[in-house]
Amino acid sequence: MKKTVLDYALKVRLPVTVFVIILSFALTYFISRPERDGIGYAPEQPIKFSHKLHAGTMKIDCRYCHIGVEKSRFATIPTPSICMNCHTIARKDKPEIIKLTSYFNSGKAIPWKRIHRVPDYAYFNHSVHVNKGIDCKNCHGDVARMDVVSQVHSFTMGSCLNCHRNAHEKLPELARQIKNGPDNCNACHR
Amino acid sequence: MSRNEENKKFWLSLDDLKNSLNLAKAKDNEFAPGMTDEFKPEDMPSHSRRKFLALAGASAAFAATACTDYRDKGEIIPYNKKPDDMTIGVANYYSSTCTGCANACGILIKTREGRPIKIDGNPDHPVSKGKICAAGQANILNLYDPERLKEPLSGANGKFKPADWKDIDNKIIEALNKASADNKEITIITHSVLSPSQNKLFEDFKSKYPTTKIYSYELFNDKNRQSAWKRCYGESNFPVISWSDANVILSLESDFLGNEGNFVEQIRLFAGKRNVDDAKNFNRLYVAEGGMSLTGMNSDHRLRIRPDAQFEFVMSLLNEIIFVRKDSSTVLNSEIETKIKEHKLIDFANKFKLSESVLFSLVNDLISNKGKSIVYAGDILPEVIHIAVNLLNEVLGNNALYNKERGNVKQMPLSENAEIESLINSMNSGNVAVVLHLDTNPVFHFSNDYGYATALKKVPVVVTMCENENESSMRSNYVLPIHHNFESWGDFQTRTGLYSLQQPVIAPLYNTRQKESILHQWLGGNAENYSEDGYHQYIMKNWEQNIYQMLHLASDFRSFWFAALNDGVVNYKAPIPTMQFNFTTSDKFEYKPSNGNVLMLTRNYTIGDGRFSNNGWLQELPHPVSKVTWDNYAAISLNTSRQIGVKIGDMIDINASGKKIAFPVMIQPGMADDVLSIELGYGRKFGGTIGSNVGFDGIQLMSNKNNAQMLIRDVKISKANGKYKFASTQEHHAINEPEVMGFPKQRHIIQEGTIAAYIKNPDFFKDGKPKTEDISIVNRVQYTGTKWAMAIDLNKCVGCGICVSACNVENNVPIVGKEQVLVGREMHWIRVDRYFSNSAEQPETSNQPMLCMHCDDAPCENVCPVVATNHSPDGLNQMIYNRCVGTRYCSNNCPYKVRRFNFYNFRNHLADGYYNKDSLSLMQNPEVTVRSRGVMEKCTFCVQRIMEARQEAIKNGVQLKGSEVKTACQEACPAEAITFGDAHEKDSAIDYIRNHKLGYHVLEELNIKPNVTYIARLRNKAEEVQS
Repeated sequence: MKKTVLDYALKVRLPVTVFVIILSFALTYFISRPERDGIGYAPEQPIKFSHKLHAGTMKIDCRYCHIGVEKSRFATIPTPSICMNCHTIARKDKPEIIKLTSYFNSGKAIPWKRIHRVPDYAYFNHSVHVNKGIDCKNCHGDVARMDVVSQVHSFTMGSCLNCHRNAHEKLPELARQIKNGPDNCNACHR
Repeated sequence: MSRNEENKKFWLSLDDLKNSLNLAKAKDNEFAPGMTDEFKPEDMPSHSRRKFLALAGASAAFAATACTDYRDKGEIIPYNKKPDDMTIGVANYYSSTCTGCANACGILIKTREGRPIKIDGNPDHPVSKGKICAAGQANILNLYDPERLKEPLSGANGKFKPADWKDIDNKIIEALNKASADNKEITIITHSVLSPSQNKLFEDFKSKYPTTKIYSYELFNDKNRQSAWKRCYGESNFPVISWSDANVILSLESDFLGNEGNFVEQIRLFAGKRNVDDAKNFNRLYVAEGGMSLTGMNSDHRLRIRPDAQFEFVMSLLNEIIFVRKDSSTVLNSEIETKIKEHKLIDFANKFKLSESVLFSLVNDLISNKGKSIVYAGDILPEVIHIAVNLLNEVLGNNALYNKERGNVKQMPLSENAEIESLINSMNSGNVAVVLHLDTNPVFHFSNDYGYATALKKVPVVVTMCENENESSMRSNYVLPIHHNFESWGDFQTRTGLYSLQQPVIAPLYNTRQKESILHQWLGGNAENYSEDGYHQYIMKNWEQNIYQMLHLASDFRSFWFAALNDGVVNYKAPIPTMQFNFTTSDKFEYKPSNGNVLMLTRNYTIGDGRFSNNGWLQELPHPVSKVTWDNYAAISLNTSRQIGVKIGDMIDINASGKKIAFPVMIQPGMADDVLSIELGYGRKFGGTIGSNVGFDGIQLMSNKNNAQMLIRDVKISKANGKYKFASTQEHHAINEPEVMGFPKQRHIIQEGTIAAYIKNPDFFKDGKPKTEDISIVNRVQYTGTKWAMAIDLNKCVGCGICVSACNVENNVPIVGKEQVLVGREMHWIRVDRYFSNSAEQPETSNQPMLCMHCDDAPCENVCPVVATNHSPDGLNQMIYNRCVGTRYCSNNCPYKVRRFNFYNFRNHLADGYYNKDSLSLMQNPEVTVRSRGVMEKCTFCVQRIMEARQEAIKNGVQLKGSEVKTACQEACPAEAITFGDAHEKDSAIDYIRNHKLGYHVLEELNIKPNVTYIARLRNKAEEVQS
């Protein structure tokens, strides 16, 4: 039987095309995944606050500012009044501190850009994790080295479960203290 | 057991009793007819599909052109200066006082981030003890009601313009001064005055404007009880009754468990004497009534007596006890003796065809429980019956049950009818210059007989202070918006030895003022420098000068004040004057039953005197007896309905006090013949989007010629044209089979027995029960750790529905509206099923709260194609909204019919998105997902509360204790019928009850291992009574 153009198209061109399309989809899917999950997201903040300086160089404990983290679901973003504990005296003349002081004095809230977010239907609770001894770093990365905070890990259900199901592997230093986290739906969704 | 319990027939409604084909069909199908009908595009809310697509397209185009950062996650806005005493994400609780009715219950308000989100009773309050009623629970919706008045209005003839507080203040102060100068009356119309400081404010107001007169009224009042008390004891403050010490209770047309007096307290005390572990000390409740009330549903013996025959009944009882049994040492004067001797119990029984054995055992019980029984007459009965009841209680020595520590206190007596009439006369003759409606609605509450609305036209300045527009505000010159309960300051005294405080828990949402602050401002005589804090300072000053001085405390005033605010209550010892019975008869000591129909006007169970009519949660709360939502009706007995030839839903004309009004008929099993019962508070004309034109206005049937206004005799009824549809929830989620009416018993839905049988043989209940094979079609999971479980004691449950209201608030349950209830789409996660047994004339009632059973082998889980419902390791049946695609298979497979499907986004659906307005989003519990269209939902055992307890346990490094978790329904249940906890916790209450001899599971034979255990109801039947 004589090979026709159609045969060639069906046997070679079509599979190759389909393969290339699927491959490009798959590649795009996997390559863009961190991007889609928000990894590397580092928006410009209204005040150029440096975690590297405060948490890194000066070694201020995270909990000094994020006061809710041991008590509540929310870690809470510090209010300007907490900043002013030091900055009523410290570095008053720097432009960013002047900006901060003006926010504080005018009674306006600072519109910080949100970096980490779990969706509304997931009821993540900071206090249960922190009170179990899990370090902030495990989810938020080494913030103490970041001048501008960016997202390091993905905040999808998969990443939550990854740790909840393999706690000892993921957090070897806490192997004695913690068990696997709950992986039933109601643990987060209600 | 003397009675043949096994053959007892249970039925849901009269249709069921007659084994109607329709109901049989309804029970065959999971969804009621119409429930799964196609959506009609024309019925869709204003956001139609086309509009939606257009909007979606437009917003997509916007998004594309604006090139927004798709990774943008918005902003987090912290406080500028955070209040010290709060942590974001952790609730704060404030004690306060509810002003929803004249009971002034102590409440505990849960706030999150400064927003009140849940109300419960104040556990420190000696009367409320942590419990409040259904309206109190749902009151939070009134705070966030989108139709609250947001600014003051001025105008006339129902047309208003927004105005400025200062202008209005100036104009009214001018009018007040002018009235005082012209010696014209200034009228203040208020509800019961319960607040000492408010009372003082009135006094101050009177001395500033000397022509002021204060009138107070309540649509539902205890004036008859009070005046009877005054005539018997010379004191109008009648005592509180120690219900918990009463072995025998005889209730005469009194719904003391449903809506009379402080019924929440009364349910608690009544149910406290219904402890199955102390079965010998069960109280016995006899109810003699013409209507079918919640109290009647809970009676052990019920006598059907028309309300106007109650006087004869009490006199016959007196005769039987004093002269037939000769069992009284009370000395009576000869006049009363002669009157009593006219009435023979036997004659009375024959005349009204009452069971002699029940009457016989009633008399026996009353005699053998002297000083430990109570006879209690209803608020609607005339004074003379209350006097006879007081006499009966004296004869029986039951005054021992009048509480010696706390009595009722009134700051100011309610106005007499004659006072109101003379007010209206002087209004008509032009002697009244200013009328102030202090959060009252007399245009709606006064019957047309008074002619109040027309008289109001003669008054030059009419001011209405109200939260929402109402019938009276429409006839005013100035409408002043006032603070809600939760935005106000106040102090209250309803009992001796007890003060309670009210404090605001949220800054005013709108440009409103507290009603007392408005008066306080006018008291100052000028409109300048209004201070929101003015009335607060006024109360503090009053307390510092009067109440604090009286208490003789060691602490200084400031610390006393803050401690009092923290607790919400101040207790002190106050002597109660001893009361001496001293009644001399008069000619009027007589009350003969009429031969015609008698009409009872009663208080409704949900919306108060109409003030909660714009509250959808309360409108949708099923009536505890008829389970009708969004309506009232004229209830009549089956016999009466046959006489006039009407069926349920037919209209009848009611001719009473010279007026004719059409009402739809509800045939209520258990009603006495020739009795009509109508609940008041419905039929508002200007009640807001939700509350207007719901039900029928029965107030117009009242007559001002009659002292007992709620009881109208010689009423003519006749069939009228027209049909009406009731949205009753009773048959919507029926779990009993259609073929055999005995099935509720045989299928172990309702299990009952008697005290006598239980005491004789505590195991009687398990005897002869079919053994279930412990084989399951699924792999049974072994629960090792915590396992959540609930138990409901049917001996304690009275069927009040407070649990439903509490669950609605806690779990953001949407309101669906009447037409959706009609097709069976109500969303309540917990319902109270009501079964009747015996005949339609003498029904026995069984209540059963029904909620998700969280079965170990839950049938719903096996059929979900997307595993949106599955089981947690701690025994919860989880429902995951995100995963749900809305196949409704689970609901189809649920034997208990407790799953609810969001056929619409109900918040958007009702009344053009009334419940989707901005202010409502503040009300939602932030710990519970707000469900949208197309997902299934159901009871979660308040998983958010379980998780909160777990978080606390982890924080404190301790083991989670199941008994520390309280579900919303459990917390609210005034009878404490609900127990919740970890079934594996040793020696816990739940562990004990799950293994109780009277414990059973509904539909046990399905072998799906439900985790809600019911404690079978024991009826405390008298031994003499043979059924």
